[in-house]
Amino acid sequence: MTLRRKMLRDMRANAGSYLACLALVVIGVVAFLSFSIARDNMVLSKESLYREENFADGFAELAAMPEHRLRKIRRMAGIRQASGRLIRDVQVHDPEREASVYLRLVSLDLEETDRLNDVRLLEGEPLSDKEMRCWIDGQFFEANRLELDQELEIIAGGRTRELVVSGVGICPEFVYPLRTESEIYVNPEQFGVAFLPDKIMWSLFPEMDRAFNSLAFSLEDGAEFQDVKEELEIELERYGVIEVYPREDQTSHFILTEEIEVIGTMATFFPVMILSIAAFIIYIVLKRLVEQQRGQIGILKAFGYSSRAILLHYFSYSLTLALIGGAAGGLIGMWLAGPLTDLLYEFFHLPEVYAGFSVRHLLLSLGICLAVLGFGGYHGCKTVLRLEPAEAMRPPAPKGAKKFFLEKIPFFTSILTIQGKMAIRNLFRSRSRTAFVFLGIAVSCAMVAFTWALATESMPKFMFQPYQEVMVYDARVNLENPRPRKAGREELERLAEVARAEPLVEIPVKLIHRWREENVAAIGLLPESRLYNILDKDGNRIVASDDGLILSERLAENLGAAPGSTLELESIFLRDPDRTVKVAVVAVVPQYIGMNAYMGIAGLEDLLRRGEFATAFLVETAPGPGTVRDRVAGLRERYRESDFVAGVDEREDLVALMEEQWETAGWVINLYVLIGVIFSFSIIYVSSLIVLSERNRELASLRVLGMTSREVFSVITFEQWFLAFFAVIAGLPLARLIMNAFARQWSTDMYAMPAEMSAGSWLAGIAMTVISIWAAQRFTLRKIKRLEIVEALKTGE
Amino acid sequence: MGATLISAEDIKKRYEMGQVHVYALKGVNFTLREKELVVVLGESGSGKTTLVNIVGGMDRPTEGRLHFGQIALHDCDEAALTDYRRNQVGFIFQFYNLMPNLTARENIHLAVEIARDPLNVEELLRQVGLGDRGNHFPSQLSGGEQQRVAIARALAKNPRLLLCDEPTGALDLPTGRQILSLLSEFRDRYGKTVVIITHNTNISRMADRIVYLKDGKVEWVKKNEKPIPAEEVSW
Ligand SMILES: Nc1ncnc2c1ncn2[C@@H]1O[C@H](COP(=O)(O)OP(=O)(O)OP(=O)(O)O)[C@@H](O)[C@H]1O
Ligand SMILES: [Mg+2]
Repeated sequence: MTLRRKMLRDMRANAGSYLACLALVVIGVVAFLSFSIARDNMVLSKESLYREENFADGFAELAAMPEHRLRKIRRMAGIRQASGRLIRDVQVHDPEREASVYLRLVSLDLEETDRLNDVRLLEGEPLSDKEMRCWIDGQFFEANRLELDQELEIIAGGRTRELVVSGVGICPEFVYPLRTESEIYVNPEQFGVAFLPDKIMWSLFPEMDRAFNSLAFSLEDGAEFQDVKEELEIELERYGVIEVYPREDQTSHFILTEEIEVIGTMATFFPVMILSIAAFIIYIVLKRLVEQQRGQIGILKAFGYSSRAILLHYFSYSLTLALIGGAAGGLIGMWLAGPLTDLLYEFFHLPEVYAGFSVRHLLLSLGICLAVLGFGGYHGCKTVLRLEPAEAMRPPAPKGAKKFFLEKIPFFTSILTIQGKMAIRNLFRSRSRTAFVFLGIAVSCAMVAFTWALATESMPKFMFQPYQEVMVYDARVNLENPRPRKAGREELERLAEVARAEPLVEIPVKLIHRWREENVAAIGLLPESRLYNILDKDGNRIVASDDGLILSERLAENLGAAPGSTLELESIFLRDPDRTVKVAVVAVVPQYIGMNAYMGIAGLEDLLRRGEFATAFLVETAPGPGTVRDRVAGLRERYRESDFVAGVDEREDLVALMEEQWETAGWVINLYVLIGVIFSFSIIYVSSLIVLSERNRELASLRVLGMTSREVFSVITFEQWFLAFFAVIAGLPLARLIMNAFARQWSTDMYAMPAEMSAGSWLAGIAMTVISIWAAQRFTLRKIKRLEIVEALKTGE
Repeated sequence: MGATLISAEDIKKRYEMGQVHVYALKGVNFTLREKELVVVLGESGSGKTTLVNIVGGMDRPTEGRLHFGQIALHDCDEAALTDYRRNQVGFIFQFYNLMPNLTARENIHLAVEIARDPLNVEELLRQVGLGDRGNHFPSQLSGGEQQRVAIARALAKNPRLLLCDEPTGALDLPTGRQILSLLSEFRDRYGKTVVIITHNTNISRMADRIVYLKDGKVEWVKKNEKPIPAEEVSW
């Protein structure tokens, strides 16, 4: 009991360090709990949606398959259930809006009771085979402020049709709907999903009557996807199979899973960092305390307190922090998890499912704190066990101060003041504290430099390079079906709005290298293309070659290919689709969004044994009255009801979307920078506090000698700046390592994060570190001014 | 005089310091009886502190046999030694060694909490003349007052043996006398065996017996036929 009082007074006497430690513990636990609860909730929500709406295990995309063939597919070994769908993207005509708006129409078989990828109706009426009514996804519905029974004008098969919104729903296949592979953010204002009865779909697209272009299937227990895929590919061969892929590669599922994982990483990465610092602080603080209180420990032992009881006494300092931190952090974390989950649900439009308050999480956070602080605390005070009682009564053998190696250089000695020499000898004397501060400064400098580079270099490059340096057209005219490119180009260039038009071929291909294969879009470009630039690592243009493929880095890596490799290429666009052709790899280039193979358009045509064709045209508008926007709108208006133009996309729209996303991402990144700064500040501050209390007597003696508090202070600051100099130098390569690891970790088949870091970010890291060291020192100076000389000299036992 | 409380036979203590080793005790023989007041005299470095540390169970002899009643201290493990210190021994040091951030009363409580049969804290505080200073921290007390707290603290556990290493070493004459008379008073009232270590020959005049250490050995042991009261000691 009395010992507990001693503990509380000890802690109060050195409250700064304990509070810093406690604050870190609370922040760590809050971050851990709120993110992991949010993650668990999201997993729960995702899984219940998948289960209840019967999300498919695999998908197949094909040209067209008659409805009656579905029965055969359903009987295939390994397949439990299969649904056929007709999926078509159409434009929505809204006279009040300039931007193009697309809807993905997905057919539903109303007679099937247990559909795969079913729609959960959130509000509205059932559909019927007789009416042009649809269900629409909630994000599109909200973003466009639609109402039930509202009419949408869509352009299907070159004709304007009216589609009535009958309900709002959510479908596991389109939780995160993206229109093309070169997008990474949902854009619900311009793209949504609508579900229609299959009979209505067929009436809209007579050329696909009673046919499907997409299959969704689920597997029987124990069936292997790979086996089923091989069977299916053979079976679907004659219907123009483009790709058979598992759920893992389905865009929405992939991104949703990825995002949940990112949240999971946040739930571990930050807390681990923060908690390990807390453990280190308690370690240093207790180690110092035990050293300082040798005499007191000796008395306790002389009284008959056992070593274990004394160990427990010092250990209880860290246990107390752990219990307070765990409980406070646990409660705050659980409380914050609610709003965080809501935020994420709103962002991902997932159904709201909550796990509710759990004692398990509270115990978990207590457990983590006990483990982390217990570990640090135990190692800090275990020397108690080794102290012999009689030994403990003697003052510690004075630590041998030695001249440090630099002092052998006369020049160096001559520029150092007495304070400077004291400072440097101190650094060499308490090694573990020096290591702690060194590491702390290095890590915080690296954190700031890394987050800075992320915010000002990598992220902007990632988000804007594709639409500002690679794809530099004003508009892209997508064709319904391939058309002759020379005639198309001439026709476009005759228009008043158009200054230049370039044909582009974008077709699905399967690339095979040894045993590896990838389904990607191959892009054919004019060698002299000015509107679509293929750029190498240093940003230099590379000409699209007619002799072979240029691969994106990720694609090359996945295929295990390099310049000089020969790939096999399969495509339904091959003149004879049963065959494969060989093609060489000529170059590998970085690509941040999507994963593609590029080639000269004429070369690609030769490879496919086809005449000249294009699937889209890139357009640069002619200078003239009005904005680019107006001219693109004019172009769009011209082709609104055209049979062969599927849509006109405007690059500005994509850039605007990116800018919008960038604004929301901005504050998260600033938060990271802030964390880096707080981090370095607290490390420096705690280390100053430790120095101060460790050498209270020594510093007080300097004051007795007649030094001013500033002169005494300079001993401490010199120590820190000296150490900081080397720590910062170590921090910069560390920042580079973190950046590379981050870029690697973050990159997937859908996007690659560039690892950019220039001298500017390093300077920012250095500047921020210097500022936080300076700020922490101001706080310490205030404490030094209040240092009571008499008190300090008297407190020795 | 009562029965034998402590008997030491040929106790040696060797300190290793790297390659060299020093014998602080080179074969010490002596006995302590119950309710006896013994003064251990000797020059600085003669091994006095080493000896009390061993007798008090803080340290173990390198060689020799040491008994407390039936307990063979030279054979005890750490736990048994701790138990011995807890229940049988009270220490008083030259520099008081109070816990700086516990009040006088709390310092005594610290000892009471682990004792089997403790004395009353308030009464002890009164007996050492600090009945109204219980809430003061060591830094608010003078040296003599701190030493009185230390005596109360050592006594509070109600041990059979009080070991005092230079208890007056840091105090002036009147204050030192007060401390010594407290010690002999407690010996009389509670029947404790008291060992006082000092290099001050004058103090030995109040002892029942005097043990003189020189260079790690007992040079002589003398019985004092007429111990004087502590108040009359002077130096
Ligand atoms: N931990 C140790 N390591 C090495 N030598 C030691 C140690 N402790 C004591 N000694 C040596 O043992 C001898 C006896 O020391 P001790 O402290 O018992 O003397 P003392 O009689 O109490 O002296 P003083 O009157 O100065 O307190 C001394 O020579 C001392 O140097
Ligand atoms: Mg001594």
